[in-house]
Amino acid sequence: MDRRIVLRHDAEPMAAASRPSPIAWLIAPALLLFVLFFVLPFGVMAVMSVFSGNPVTNPNAFLTTRHYMRFIADDAGIFHDALWATLRIGLVTTVVSLLIGYPLAHWMARMQSRLGHVLVLMAVIAPLLTGIVVRTFAWMTILQDKGVINTTLMSWGLIHKPLPLMYNEFGTTVALVHIYVPFMVLTLTGVIGRIDERLEQAARSLGAGRLRAFVEVTLPLSLPGVLAGSLLVFALSISAYVTPSLMGGTDVLTLPMLIAQQVGTSFNPNFAGALGMILLLVCLVIVIAYNKILARLSGEKGLA
Amino acid sequence: MSAVPNKMPFDPGRAAYVTLNVVLLGFLLAPIAIVLVFAFNPTPYISFPPVGVSLRWFDKFFASSDFMNALWLSLWIAACVLVLAVVIGGACALALARGNLPGRGFFTAFFMSPLMLPAILTGLALFQSYLLVGIGRPVWGLIMAHTLIAVPYVLRTTLAVLHNFDRRIEEAAAVLGASPLRVFFEVTLPLIRPGVFAGGVFAFIVSFDQFPVSLFLVVPKGETLPVVLFNYMKFDLDGAIAAASMVSILLALAVVLVLERLIGLKAYVKL
Repeated sequence: MDRRIVLRHDAEPMAAASRPSPIAWLIAPALLLFVLFFVLPFGVMAVMSVFSGNPVTNPNAFLTTRHYMRFIADDAGIFHDALWATLRIGLVTTVVSLLIGYPLAHWMARMQSRLGHVLVLMAVIAPLLTGIVVRTFAWMTILQDKGVINTTLMSWGLIHKPLPLMYNEFGTTVALVHIYVPFMVLTLTGVIGRIDERLEQAARSLGAGRLRAFVEVTLPLSLPGVLAGSLLVFALSISAYVTPSLMGGTDVLTLPMLIAQQVGTSFNPNFAGALGMILLLVCLVIVIAYNKILARLSGEKGLA
Repeated sequence: MSAVPNKMPFDPGRAAYVTLNVVLLGFLLAPIAIVLVFAFNPTPYISFPPVGVSLRWFDKFFASSDFMNALWLSLWIAACVLVLAVVIGGACALALARGNLPGRGFFTAFFMSPLMLPAILTGLALFQSYLLVGIGRPVWGLIMAHTLIAVPYVLRTTLAVLHNFDRRIEEAAAVLGASPLRVFFEVTLPLIRPGVFAGGVFAFIVSFDQFPVSLFLVVPKGETLPVVLFNYMKFDLDGAIAAASMVSILLALAVVLVLERLIGLKAYVKL
């Protein structure tokens, strides 16, 4: 820590005064990749969303707002429901992830033993590295009618017919929480770890109970982290596709599922583009808020 | 909080706190353990409790040409993505940390943004672009899409290492007469290597497990392993999926161990 502060201290005036060095050219390949395969494609998506067809191959394609109008009018009565379902699932997933992630993050941040810290960290990161499809499969084996929970409860005679744990929003949310909790834990651990433990100790030596010291000192100080983690999990869960489409059955229809339907079965890439722009808009608002909070947190802008 | 438990023989509050956290860890790890159980369970449907131990699902997985083609395609793509992401991301990290670029903060946020935008939209946008340009869905298009998602990981791990190392070592080498090129190859590169390696490992896993970006970009008969598994799971839930999952999980665990050896996992806590 010390070294870093000293370094930044003498490096900064230099950096401000001198011009870009030749090393700056190394940014070129990344810039090219991002312009060609990221900026332009999102531009294409925006253009497609306001055309009636493919403007390159189809000379009769014309400018139109009908895809957005179709979403707004919602004659079939499914688009608005899909949007609300997406936001609802995202919100519940976020709140539950926070309730599960906070204790874990607090435990990890305050853990004295290095080995314990590494073990918990591995336990948190391991699911993160196992892929969404695999983790969704795991939850299907647990929650389905003949799954682990229902079979066990029935063999104990506690229930006589399987509980409806899957093919609904409940199952979708459970699996999504499991998939995104690691992001919450990692965000929160960093923030809680930076809170000086002595603040809490001071509160306690002044007579506050452990719970009160936590609620009045540590919790308020960790709120920016709570917000950042929540925004991240929300952004991730509203764009989930695999889990809702496998765990939701016919009960759940979210915006990403609707997009995949438009591309796969209806083959209407223009309407898919409009749906994509709507999802993008929601996400951009969240991402900008997240970056603002993170920048204020670390004091060093944009260094995620 | 650390000093308090030593003074008291039993602390119910502390015990409840630890118990709660162990239960939560169980929630995180149990599903993975259950996949392991089903991978070795011989019945043709998912049944619990397991009735025995067999390798038939691994046989089925490794004998199926669909699964194997997908596995090799995924490994091949992931290997390409690893190389591309390491070169592009590593160079970009150097430029950001050492190039005295104006707008450094903006560029860093910009290059991190594929992580924050919905991956399914990145896939959709690329699908529409390829459609618009009329190139179909080539494998190199998929590789570039995965590279785009993998570069931020390399950037993050490399930047973390670059920020933590003492620039005066480079300055010392330069003062002692080394050319900039020599400073780079003999001082900078060896020092940032762990970060670049770690990023490369992440890039490999991100590509190998990638689903949302691949969804619209794969062609029939040319699907990657996650897409094949997803399509299989829509109709069948047998042990073959569990066996395939085991293969992926073992790969991921190996990766975590490699990461810990290389630079320690602590660097990733700073999200």
